[in-house]
Amino acid sequence: MPIVELNRVRKVYDTKVAVEGLSLTMEPGTMFGLLGPNGSGKTSTIRMMIGMTMPDSGSVKLFERPLQREMLSRVGYLPEERGLYKKMKVLDQLVFLGQLHGLSEATARERSLAWCERIQITEAIGKKTEDLSKGMQQKIQFIAALLHDPELVIMDEPFSGLDPVNAELLLNTLVDLRREGKAVLFSTHRMDQVEKMCDAIALISRGRLVLSGSMREVKARYPRNRVHIVFSGDQSFLGHPEVEEAKNYAGVAELSLYHEAGAQKVLAEAIARGTVVHKFEVKEPTLEEIFIEHVRASFDGEEAGGTADA
Amino acid sequence: MPNRLQSIWLIARREYLERIRTKGFLMATILIPVLMGGGMFGAAELADKSPTASHIVVLGSQPELAQDLKEELEHGKDSKMTVQILPFATSHAELDQKIKDKQLDGYLVIEPPKEAGQRPEFDFTPRSTADMATTTAIEDALHQALIREYLADKGLSAPQMDALMAPVELNVLDRNGERGNSRTAFMVAYALFFLMYLVVLLYGMNVARSIIEEKTSRVFEVLLATIQPDELLAGKILGVGAVGLTQVGIWMIAFGLLAAQMGATSGVQVSLAQVIYFVVYFGLGYALYSAVAASLGAMTNSEQELQQLNMFLMLPLFFSLLMLEPVVTNPNSVLSRIVSQIPFCAPLLMDLRISISMPQPWEIALSIGLILVSIYAVLWVSSRIYRVGILMYGKKPNLPEILRWMKYS
Repeated sequence: MPIVELNRVRKVYDTKVAVEGLSLTMEPGTMFGLLGPNGSGKTSTIRMMIGMTMPDSGSVKLFERPLQREMLSRVGYLPEERGLYKKMKVLDQLVFLGQLHGLSEATARERSLAWCERIQITEAIGKKTEDLSKGMQQKIQFIAALLHDPELVIMDEPFSGLDPVNAELLLNTLVDLRREGKAVLFSTHRMDQVEKMCDAIALISRGRLVLSGSMREVKARYPRNRVHIVFSGDQSFLGHPEVEEAKNYAGVAELSLYHEAGAQKVLAEAIARGTVVHKFEVKEPTLEEIFIEHVRASFDGEEAGGTADA
Repeated sequence: MPNRLQSIWLIARREYLERIRTKGFLMATILIPVLMGGGMFGAAELADKSPTASHIVVLGSQPELAQDLKEELEHGKDSKMTVQILPFATSHAELDQKIKDKQLDGYLVIEPPKEAGQRPEFDFTPRSTADMATTTAIEDALHQALIREYLADKGLSAPQMDALMAPVELNVLDRNGERGNSRTAFMVAYALFFLMYLVVLLYGMNVARSIIEEKTSRVFEVLLATIQPDELLAGKILGVGAVGLTQVGIWMIAFGLLAAQMGATSGVQVSLAQVIYFVVYFGLGYALYSAVAASLGAMTNSEQELQQLNMFLMLPLFFSLLMLEPVVTNPNSVLSRIVSQIPFCAPLLMDLRISISMPQPWEIALSIGLILVSIYAVLWVSSRIYRVGILMYGKKPNLPEILRWMKYS
């Protein structure tokens, strides 16, 4: 039973089509990565998910029902644009935002303090927001999204602008949340994070969905046709007919093959020619490679269409 | 999830507390009445008692008239001049030189009348022709001296003349037949008018500014994930308005205490009805103007851009200011009645009329009704502009775009 379900959603701003015919589903208790290059419609999609803007056509369902305002108490949202009241003290601010989510003042205060401790910003509690660094402010907003203990956490670019240590900290917090049974959706263009953490992904480019599914499904669609080889001696095996493309960096080569089965043939050829093989690894393409390939394809398609029209 | 009223309350409370706690609020609360009061009293004082202290010379062919004139100018009501009587034959060139050396502010030559029974001619050479105060004082004093001379000719004694020429005092009675003070009544009406003008403008602008602040700091994004734009708008208007009412309340109480201290001597009276009407019209006027300001704030991205749109707020207020004079001089004329019904002017002008001369009850009721209808209409429009505008960053929208916003929100 999906916790988030978008069905053929379309959103147009004036003349620009932000999202076009986008459908995706997210299962409860999973971590979902929404990927896409800058300006691809990630934020527009997220805004429609929490009812901040309405789709021009198509439907949005949360918790298996059409989106309603009351549902937002079960959703925690971290916007892409960080925004806090500059002059307000951190704790007051968190309590205020917690109250807006329906918490009592005492509960909001108690949970704020606990969270501040958990993500290590207790020293900031008494300060005004404007005196804090950007990273600190981001952590505070991160807390604000989670104070009311939401079942569904939606975060737009949660790690942008954070140093590696803090990014890791928040990342682990999200992983913990998932372990507690929460559904976590976040947008990013950092593939390494997604590859490590996400159960499922959706890749959008130019407002359209180009790829989606569980991480295993997505990867399974791509043949394990990458070979990483470390060798010394004769390198003529690189010209084997199974090799589509080879990048050779003096003894370390990255190969891309036509078929998955080709790897063994290439290895046999190398040994037959007397090449000393130190390391031979058959890999699936990284998400980053898949991402780049698809985004390029979507842009090429657009251009081709454009010229055809003209 | 809190219900709508709770959300509005939370927003309003935050807005109120954050504003009340600032130094700016304290400063404005103290400085505005000080400056306004100081300005008004200062101007009144200056206009009242700034006797001209010029030093002039009189060259008189008629010693008696010259002496009377000297007396009048040196000890008169409005002038404390130094007057020196010199023989008629004194050289003008010498006096001109003295004026040049700034030892003298001017000299008056009383030429004998060309024919008997006519008035003498008066030629005044001032150091600066712009010195209106001195010229006016001399004119008045000459007039007085001439009348005295004429009356003396007719055989009146000095006490008789004084009694005759003493200024008349007019007792202005209010409805209860008690002696009132029309001057202070006007002062109070003026003070209330300008107070409302200032506070409506100030707090209307505050609403716009606070929207821009939330827009530039992008707080909206967080808030809109839990509450709706109308709730945000309502909370903001109520919160900022409550700050305005608090400020006015502080002033009224301080003023009341002050008036009680000074007792009857001050002669300043503000009736309870005046206060109630003021609060009602302030509330209505503020709601109307802040609703307009909210849409201005939502349409713009920075204070600078807001400045350019300020005229939409200023124009009706300025028009009310222009109408101040006609309404004060004739509060029940057709013009006064019409302009005090215009919703954007009514808070100021109807309240002014109430302070000066109570209008018909139906006029008050009609004006309040019209304002309420306008508030509803303006809120309808601006909540639509607000809903779309707060999520728009970047370029300022043009009119067709704003109209489109109203359609699709």
